[in-house]
Amino acid sequence: MRNQFLTRVTVAAIATCVATAVALVTAQTGGYRAPRGPDGKPNLNGIWQAINSANYDIEAHSAAPSPVLELGASGAVPAGLGVVEGGTLPYTPEALKKRNENRANRLKLDPEVKCYLPGVPRATYMPFPFQIIQSQKHIMLIHEYAGAVRTIYMADQTEAPADSWMGWSNGRWEGESLVVDTKGFNDSSWFDRSGNFHSDALHVVERITARSADTLNYEVTVEDPKVFTRPWKMSMPLYRRVEPNAQILEFRCVEFVEDLLYGHLKKPPSQ
Amino acid sequence: MLLPATGAAQIAAPLARPAPAPKTAPTSGKPYTPPKTPDGQPDLQGFWTNSTYVPLERPQGVTKEVYTPAEAEAAMKAAAAREAEQTEPGTTADVHYDFTQFGLDRSQSTVAQSLRTSLIVDPPDGKIPALNAQGQKRAAERAAARKTAGGPYDSVQNMPIGSRCIIMGGSGPPMMNAGYNANYQIVQSPGYVMILTEMIHDVRIIPLDNRPQPASGLRQWVGVSRGHWEGNTLVVETTNFNGKNAFRGGSENMKVTERFTRVADDMIDYKFTIDDPATWDKTWSAQAPLAKTEGPIFEFACHETNYGIANILAGARAEDKQKADPAKKGSN
Amino acid sequence: MRAKLVVMVACAGLLLAVGQARAHHAFAAEFDVNKPLTLKGSLIKWEMVNPHSWFHVAVKEPDGKVTEWLIEGGSPNQLIRMGVTKNTVPIGTELTIEGYRAKDGGLKAVGRNFVLPDGSRLFLGGSAPGGTPGDKK
Repeated sequence: MRNQFLTRVTVAAIATCVATAVALVTAQTGGYRAPRGPDGKPNLNGIWQAINSANYDIEAHSAAPSPVLELGASGAVPAGLGVVEGGTLPYTPEALKKRNENRANRLKLDPEVKCYLPGVPRATYMPFPFQIIQSQKHIMLIHEYAGAVRTIYMADQTEAPADSWMGWSNGRWEGESLVVDTKGFNDSSWFDRSGNFHSDALHVVERITARSADTLNYEVTVEDPKVFTRPWKMSMPLYRRVEPNAQILEFRCVEFVEDLLYGHLKKPPSQ
Repeated sequence: MLLPATGAAQIAAPLARPAPAPKTAPTSGKPYTPPKTPDGQPDLQGFWTNSTYVPLERPQGVTKEVYTPAEAEAAMKAAAAREAEQTEPGTTADVHYDFTQFGLDRSQSTVAQSLRTSLIVDPPDGKIPALNAQGQKRAAERAAARKTAGGPYDSVQNMPIGSRCIIMGGSGPPMMNAGYNANYQIVQSPGYVMILTEMIHDVRIIPLDNRPQPASGLRQWVGVSRGHWEGNTLVVETTNFNGKNAFRGGSENMKVTERFTRVADDMIDYKFTIDDPATWDKTWSAQAPLAKTEGPIFEFACHETNYGIANILAGARAEDKQKADPAKKGSN
Repeated sequence: MRAKLVVMVACAGLLLAVGQARAHHAFAAEFDVNKPLTLKGSLIKWEMVNPHSWFHVAVKEPDGKVTEWLIEGGSPNQLIRMGVTKNTVPIGTELTIEGYRAKDGGLKAVGRNFVLPDGSRLFLGGSAPGGTPGDKK
């Protein structure tokens, strides 16, 4: 008698335990488990793109006119709910002043205007696709914008030998998530077109997790003690480019900005 | 493989790393079976270099196709000695940082040397075939356009494409020896082969699914590549070039076919064929092995810190001013 | 012998047709062969960038004033493969730099030789070769 009762309770307890565990997993990943690639890891291969207005401004913002008159509505800025958790970036007072100066002079100062490499995480939410090429030792992120490339070292990991635009990335798997830890940034890229910026102390940790067959969760923790009073997070979904024959094309924009950058040094036409 | 943080004492000693002996393709023994990637492709992954002293075309006065090993070594040593020659102070050649000091001399890193007297294997004389009538016409038109454009430093657009940080010769296709930093990283995933060219962080992603080439309205500096495996050989066909840096005077309708075969743990046999009836009446081909080398490939962000362009143009404008008014001493 | 040299250079020129990096010509357009110089100063920063790295050097002028010069060097990428990092050359390192001044008149030069106080060259290449730019051989 007593044994039967215990058995029923134990079974019920186990069932509850399992149900709770499943609920927790469900809460994190929506219950989706990505198919494994031939390397035995979650298969994140594919061409992906963000669909939001983060590249204009990662904080919540209203629609706004174009900074270039002749572009009219074509150059105007769409509104955005913002991708920064908590809403506002935690700048130090001096850094906030600099952000506002950046914003006021963004046509002259935004590295995107000059076709400079976009840095991280901006590269992810530029309005261009990028491709993940996943192998055991290296995971490559290849961005259409300016042909920006990121090498994620999954083995033979070292520290950044020097500073770069796209940083130096070491990656590891944590269950379903690819966790990418990046340091070794220079101070020259921005987070968006609105002057949000960082220093060379920038440290970015990204978590990429499949949430369905054709979408990823992209969560980013940003730390920069020279600019922000505390770490902050952003998150957004990434969408697979599902059209057949989707591919990364060339956006070799150097040619497009040469007159902007060097036109003033051109030899004037002879009289 | 990083050095620990060093003090002045350590940098006083030159970094001691003897340049590895040049690698040559295996000539005999049983056929090599390459390892496979997890998805079953022959494995081409790793860091590779096409740095070589073998010229594209056979030098004047050389008639044989292949040197003996002793002759090849002598030719290579002669070429290396010429490059390492100390330049004479006060000459144009001296107005440059010393490549050797930065490890950028070819002899200071892995060299993928073959015994060939030229990279070109077809035609048998080892030379690029003569331009046909269309090719000659195009060459004349390009020369005329260059003349109209003015002096080499009148504008940034008159400067070489590589100096402008748009694209360099290592990208191709076909992939040519870049002189230094002649390195590639190959990474494979199911259905794709990715080739990263060090300068200028240039990536070709080659799909293996027999998809068609895009319509002719889309054209690229590197063209558009499609690949497939024939046994252990990766065959890559590239079309849709934009014609702005056409290889050796070719047209935008050039078709480049590349073949990559891993022939040893430390060597990939790389062959390319140029098919461009608008320029040459026959196809021509070259063979330029890739030797295994060491990474990493550090970000070659070129345009972002290309201060030289502004310096050169400003210098040219200063000289123009000087010429226009020689009475004024050039000053800034 | 001379004829062969010309031919080999021509071949190299072919390889360089698509804007290769060994562009001596462009450097002679950026810096003035008629303005050789020797600078002595201490390192402020080595910008490990491409296509060419830049050394920021504090140079004490004869009148005691300190100016900041920008000296062009080579791509750092091969040095990085050989183990060099941003910590390898400490800030404050005393350097003697032999080179040529920029044509645009700024405080810029290309560094033919970067020499440490003990006479050895920075990074690679052993001791400094004899003679300074401007010496006739």
